[in-house]
Amino acid sequence: MNSSPLLRIENLRTFFYSQRKHAFVRAVDGVTLDVGRSETVGLVGESGSGKSITAMSVMGLLRGGPGVIGGRIEFESAHGRQNLLEKLQAFVEVHEQNGRVMSVSKDEKGWRKASERIMRNYRGKEISMIFQNPRTSLNPYMTVGGQIAESIRLHTANRSESEARERALYWLERVKIDSPKLRYKTYPAVMSGGMCQRAMIAMALSAEPSMLIADEPTTGLDATIQSKIVDLLEELKSETHISTLLISHDISVISRLSDRVAIMYGGAVVEFGPARQVLDPHEEARHPYTAALIDSVPSQQKIRDKSNLQAIEGDVLDTINVPAGCRFYDRCNRVKDGIRERCATQHPPLQEISSGHHMRCWLFAKG
Amino acid sequence: MKKYIQTTVDVVDYSSLPLVQKYALADLLYVAYGLLIVMLVLVSYFAGMFDMLPHDPQQINMDLLMSPPGTDGHLLGTDFMGRDILSRLIVGIQAYFLPGMLAISIALAGGVILGVPAGYWGGRIATCITYISNLVDSFPRMVLILLVIAAFKPDIYYIMIVMGITGVPAVATAISNKIYFLSQKNFIEAARALGLRRRVIIFKHILWYNCRALLIIQATLGMGEAILLETSLSYLGFGVQEPVPSWGNMVQSGANYFLQGNFWPSTAPALAILFTILGFNLLGDGLNNILEDRRGK
Repeated sequence: MNSSPLLRIENLRTFFYSQRKHAFVRAVDGVTLDVGRSETVGLVGESGSGKSITAMSVMGLLRGGPGVIGGRIEFESAHGRQNLLEKLQAFVEVHEQNGRVMSVSKDEKGWRKASERIMRNYRGKEISMIFQNPRTSLNPYMTVGGQIAESIRLHTANRSESEARERALYWLERVKIDSPKLRYKTYPAVMSGGMCQRAMIAMALSAEPSMLIADEPTTGLDATIQSKIVDLLEELKSETHISTLLISHDISVISRLSDRVAIMYGGAVVEFGPARQVLDPHEEARHPYTAALIDSVPSQQKIRDKSNLQAIEGDVLDTINVPAGCRFYDRCNRVKDGIRERCATQHPPLQEISSGHHMRCWLFAKG
Repeated sequence: MKKYIQTTVDVVDYSSLPLVQKYALADLLYVAYGLLIVMLVLVSYFAGMFDMLPHDPQQINMDLLMSPPGTDGHLLGTDFMGRDILSRLIVGIQAYFLPGMLAISIALAGGVILGVPAGYWGGRIATCITYISNLVDSFPRMVLILLVIAAFKPDIYYIMIVMGITGVPAVATAISNKIYFLSQKNFIEAARALGLRRRVIIFKHILWYNCRALLIIQATLGMGEAILLETSLSYLGFGVQEPVPSWGNMVQSGANYFLQGNFWPSTAPALAILFTILGFNLLGDGLNNILEDRRGK
């Protein structure tokens, strides 16, 4: 869509190792997506599909090995375009056999050091992140204002204490916290979850980054607060034109905020395209998983008709024993006889089926 | 009965309101009493250092053996050799103050150095600390101290170094547990995502904001423990040796005359021990409650 996106993730692979099973957990295996300037991209998927791990990989915040083992994460900043993983590739060696990763040797210390050196210029300054569970994301013993001011003093030109205070109050007002001057002095413990999330958003945006990663920003809040937070995000999005990677399993949140949507299943992006096209229930060209996902969401229509919600049969993909074929094969209800063979044995590539609409499914594969 | 009155109905900006009393009265009293004791100890310590005493603590006065409190300018009386008890009490502070500080410093510094990495990174360091801690806990501290005294000499500094070292695992465990508990919450991750340096996170966010109450409690409890250890060892004759005064050997020497009706030579230092240890413990308790208070009304 955009010729030069702000963030471009290409074929990202993040693995973990299960000591007990002596096998790799393929948490993220083939995520490809891009986020343009002042665009919001939604990342949807079930729990365990690798959404959060993708975000953490971008931020370089992962713990546990081997972690990120391949792919590209390109980010465009004032200093030009940089592949955040480029210099790190030297620290990791991947041995594959028949398209399957058999062993990974990684100099974790070297990787971490190099990663810290690179990410130092990006975290907070270029990419900010807000988390789920806002109440635990703030330091419980520091005042809310103090934490926001700290981030401001670190990242913006407002170095003095009074300037930072002023700025922090401005941001607290901006996220519509009630009586910001009082909240500046209070501790997170006395604030509700919604208020904490507002404070987190203020903290993330106060550093004036060009990109925000919102990892399930509304999870754990109750429905009315959720919609208020979404309202706020919508408003801030139109005012600040910040690029956002919005991670959620809540399709209603995603559909309200996103310009484009990426659907993740089993660690891979299976569909990526304009939100209207991907989430439209009447669209013909849809990945079977997306279709199943949308059918499992209660809508006004379905409630009126008292029709049963469609549950997706089976469990989330076992990311250790990843099948050779399509990862959704076992749960897919649209496998046709003509392509059954291919679905079972070959992993479909992510192909562009129409302008800007990518799909990882043999149903729509060309050639 | 507790009464709640609403007085601010139309206030929009609550920050203009005066702050309600924030801390419990008991905590403030604890801290006030504790600070009073600490001040007394400090003033007496320096008075003793610069010889600003009512009498010479070593001056033997054969005419005034066992004189009761108040005689002839001796505020707390004299002991079995006619020495002024008040002066000896003041000088006695020197017996535990600096050594106790040394023990606390060793325990806290060692505890932080070992506890932070153990809590932050876990793994082998954490296992190591657990082993050391179990080892130290299973070995009676008193026996270790007596061993050191036997091997070197009965010096209060040796005793306190041993006390400091044996205190390290407890502090380290407390800190690493605290950090481990904090790492369950994701504010550390959030701070890293915000681009804060690791040392800022460790020293400012973790140690200063989240562990200071714990460190203060450990320090004040440590001081109380140091006084107790010094006095009990001196009482037994292993600590500070006569004629250098210490509260422990004063209690011991006075105890011989207690049943003869001369209660003051041992009662005065005993009460000093009681109120000083109480002061340090209450100070720690009060400060802990005040620092832990994040209600921020």
